Parts: sequence; C-alpha cells; structure tokens
Amino acid sequence: MNLAIDQWYTRRQKDPEGDLYRKIAGQSPQNNFNSTTQGLFLAAPDGTLLGFTNNRSPEWVREMLKKGIAAYRPTETALLENRTPDPGYNYRPPEGGLVVTVTTKVLKGYEAASTTEIGFFQNSLGRDVLWVRKDEHEALARGELMDSLKRRLAMFNLLDNTRGEPHHWEASEVKKIDLSLKNGVLSGTVHLETASGDRAYIADLRGTVESKNGKVTRFDVVSRGQAWGASGCTLTAKPKDKFTLAVACRLASGTDEADRVMPQGAKSWLPDYLR
Amino acid sequence: MMVLLLTALLGVQQGLSDSDCTKLHASLKPPTAELWRDIPWKVSLLEAQNQAAKEKKPLFIWSMDGNPLGCG
Repeated sequence: MNLAIDQWYTRRQKDPEGDLYRKIAGQSPQNNFNSTTQGLFLAAPDGTLLGFTNNRSPEWVREMLKKGIAAYRPTETALLENRTPDPGYNYRPPEGGLVVTVTTKVLKGYEAASTTEIGFFQNSLGRDVLWVRKDEHEALARGELMDSLKRRLAMFNLLDNTRGEPHHWEASEVKKIDLSLKNGVLSGTVHLETASGDRAYIADLRGTVESKNGKVTRFDVVSRGQAWGASGCTLTAKPKDKFTLAVACRLASGTDEADRVMPQGAKSWLPDYLR
Repeated sequence: MMVLLLTALLGVQQGLSDSDCTKLHASLKPPTAELWRDIPWKVSLLEAQNQAAKEKKPLFIWSMDGNPLGCG
C-alpha cells in the first residue's frame, strides 16, 4: 500500500491518523515532531516500523524495502477510525467550487546542469492546485472574474515551485494584477515583486474559460514571463540570472488521487487562503 | 507599424497569442507516462491503513515537506 503525504500536516494532526503517523515516525531517526519528519517509511498496518531511509536513491530505497518486507509478518489489525479528524489539518475543497491543477516550468535561463540531480531540477514540472470558492465559480460561469480569485492565483500559484516549496507572495508584493475575462478569454498581466527586489515575476496571462449550465467546463490558462530570485526550498540550483517562467492551469479531472492534495498556499491557514 | 517592426527586430515578447497559449498549455501538461505515477499512491493515511489492514500488506509511506503528488 503506497501513501504520499505532506508530513507538515500529518505530524501535527491531533487525531488517530496523526497518532498513527507519530507512532511510525517515532520509531525512526525522524522522531522530533517539532521539525520535519520527511523520509521513506515502511510500516505494518498497526504502526510497527519495518524500515526507514531518507536517502532517495533507488538502491537505498530498494534495500530498505527488501529488508522491511522480509521482516514483515502479516497479522490481523484493526481498521483505523478517525471520526473527528483534526479540522486544522484536514482541509477539503470548497463545496460547489473548483479544483484547478497548476503546473510550472522554467523555460529558459539555466546554465548547463553540472550534475544529473541538477538536471532533474532544471527539467522538473512544479505541481500545485488552486481551489476556487463556490461564489467565484458561479461568477466565472457568468463570465466574471472575482478579485479574490485573481489575488489567490497570483499570490499562491504564479511562482517558481519547480525545485521545492517557495514562499508565496505576500499581499504587499502584488504590485499589479490586471486581469480580465471577456467573451471567455482571460487575459492580462501581473507584476509580483518583493520589497527588496530580490525576487519577482512579471508575466502575461491568457486563456480560455468555458461554462455550461452554470458550471465551468474549461479553465485553460497560461502565464509566461520573466522571473528572478528564489525563496524557501527553491534556492538549490536556482537560475543565476533572470529566467523565463511559465505556469499552466487546467480543471482537475477529479479522477486523479493528486486532485485531493491540498493547495500549498493553504498550508498556514485555510481561511486566509480562501479569503 | 514602427513599434511592431522594432518589437520583431529586437525579439521582445509582447503578450501571448492564442497559438502561444495553446502550445504552452500543452507543453506544461504532466506526461501521461511517468514511472513514479504508475504506482497507485493514496494521499489519506486512514484509507491506506484500512486497505493495508484488510489486505495484510505493509504501508510504504513517502513523507515529504509538500505532498510528493503536488505542491512544490
């Protein structure tokens, strides 16, 4: 059984799900729950740790899995119940809203990669989601683009997340959002920049928004522009100078498990994200 | 006309055309064949534990800062 999680949430959850995660991670070297517990774990369904590595090379992971599976003895285990999930860490997309898949890529601006790993970073596709509220969805279906949606898209999705988690843009760093929706065409420009000017994204946006019977059926929007700087976990192997960054949005299919992932921007506080 | 000519000569990108938009959108679509996506990942520990317990299989957990299936 394969599970992909953001441990930032799970290690903090005050409910049976969080208890099980802390039981598993607590048996590994990642047992300080005031800090990251990231890594690859193999555990029995009752939470007994069978293996752990924080080295992501295929050889290390294969070896860890081989040893852990060999040590595993299947037994009857009670099904975990979580009748009252910790609301602070179990966000759900807004009812009647939309889930939009957002991908990001650095198109131009890297020097030749010096290692295979840096090459992976340079070619990677950043992924995130954008949650759209019910009222914003209804407005879009009428052909209107609400300011709150423009702001959320700009602050949390128009950024370089291709090498890890960046800092999102603060409200004061949104210098300009000039976006409009006319006859199903979304277009405009944004200018996002820190006060010191060490990080920015100045871009054009364009796309198609279609709806049928009051529901949005297409939200294909792209952004392309010049960016510079990096933040948070994206500092590793960042482009040295200015670079071309592109972002693409499309409605989530709803059939992909990844569609259930919570937006990166909601991490600190969902109400603020959806504001 | 002069502005258009200068723009073309200097190679400056002005806005996004419908054609740019379509090409760019397609190029940023996640590939359909990615080995790591062939693995049937779950994102709920509760659901994964329940299935693992029913099938008496171990749980393999990819635990990161940011969900590995998305979010940076």
